[in-house]
Amino acid sequence: MLRKICKVNLIQNNLINSQYVIFRHLSAKAELNEAAESQEKKKTKKPKKALTDMRFKYPEFLPQPDNRLRNPVLERIMRKDMLDRRTQINIPEFYVGSILKLTISDPHSQGKTNSFVGICIQRDRTGLYSKFALRNVIDHQGIEVMYDLYDPAILKIEVLKLEKRLDDKLIYLKDALPEYSTIDVNMEPEILAEGGNIPVNDTVVKMKPFPWMQKWERQGLKGVEDLDKHLNLWRKQQKVKHDSPWDKYDLMKEYRKTITEEEQSEIFSEIFNRINKINEQHKQKAKAARRTISKPQNIG
Amino acid sequence: MNQAEVTKLMSQLKIALKPRHRNLKTPLGPEGRLDKLRQTVTALIKYERIELFYNRADEARGYTERLVSDALRYGDTHKPMMEMADYWLLEKQLVHKLFKVLCPRFENENGSVTKMFNAPRVYPADPKRAYFKRVVLELKGNPYPTITPDSSYRNKNLIHNVLLDAAMKDFYAEKERQQQLLEQEQTLNSVEESKK
Repeated sequence: MLRKICKVNLIQNNLINSQYVIFRHLSAKAELNEAAESQEKKKTKKPKKALTDMRFKYPEFLPQPDNRLRNPVLERIMRKDMLDRRTQINIPEFYVGSILKLTISDPHSQGKTNSFVGICIQRDRTGLYSKFALRNVIDHQGIEVMYDLYDPAILKIEVLKLEKRLDDKLIYLKDALPEYSTIDVNMEPEILAEGGNIPVNDTVVKMKPFPWMQKWERQGLKGVEDLDKHLNLWRKQQKVKHDSPWDKYDLMKEYRKTITEEEQSEIFSEIFNRINKINEQHKQKAKAARRTISKPQNIG
Repeated sequence: MNQAEVTKLMSQLKIALKPRHRNLKTPLGPEGRLDKLRQTVTALIKYERIELFYNRADEARGYTERLVSDALRYGDTHKPMMEMADYWLLEKQLVHKLFKVLCPRFENENGSVTKMFNAPRVYPADPKRAYFKRVVLELKGNPYPTITPDSSYRNKNLIHNVLLDAAMKDFYAEKERQQQLLEQEQTLNSVEESKK
């Protein structure tokens, strides 16, 4: 300790053999040596962009941001379980606004399966609890199904159309005209070029007249037409009254809703190698499956 | 249990944070709360050391940390960042201070940007506020003398220095004794030589 905290000047004395003398007073403040400084520099290295960009593709691997509800051990175990589940089925990349086809085994009749085609209107919750909702209009009846992403009953998830929309949640499709959430059940999958950006579908939907499920006019939605023509005077006044334009400046409110860059890079560096390996395996499996389809032969 | 928001990246703040915000006493609601905090943040950036009540100081501390860390991340050519600085700093010359003085100062800072110390309660106190905690909030690297006693100077009363002093005294006493012995030997030798 003493050696670390002070500069020591030594004198060897001829008179008293092999005895050293410290003749300077010691200061109580630590002076960092060069080795420690270089270590600090290493600590402040910026996280890699490839890691933090995984947050868009795998949002469910990030824990929920409320510190009071967090459990780091549980999060770690869940991440491992999620990866284990991903080795069993291919959970593809999809976003709110993408069109999915999901095949799930029927709990009420053994050996039979159900499938549902719909637009993903919401992704919610994290870890093994993560869910997504699909919506479609079938026989003039709007249908929404909420699925657990890591439900072991799910047999297959196919992405028929990979795209994003202008909003984070498309729950407003409930009150939009049915044409915006009507999807052909026998739709063919559209294949995107690999490595390109995900296209953003900028359709602006038209809403049905009142009654609505929520006060859509207060939510600042981008993918909805101008709602003022639906509102009466009272509702317009209320919209102005409940508006909070200062919210975008509330830095700490924003901070408490996110997981920080350092923590994100720590989480994604933990899963990076394994998830890439799993994705590669699924790709090879799909390739092999494609190869087995052969042309019908003419006999005779 | 909702998913974390991922559109914006932000760096970890190196201060202890409450999981939920504090409400401050104001008739204007959340807008008034931010207005109060704006004044405090502006004062902290301007004077670099201020004394105030604990609740407001602790809230304003987070906002200051976030503002400086964002300024370091985005720099002064980022439009939303400038808008944010413009909102939080009520005096516009402080925007220049943020980017030209504070950013270079905290470029290689590993810990927090601010420091908070407990301060004594004023006496006799205003009876309405007698039990409010007072604190001193300051920016690191400010030009004022330190609040905690600086232990970096050479203090003779530190225990290891007392011991070293004593050791030094002993050492020179021993050295002198040996010198005297040597001299005595030399004189004896010279006397013997002269006798021969």
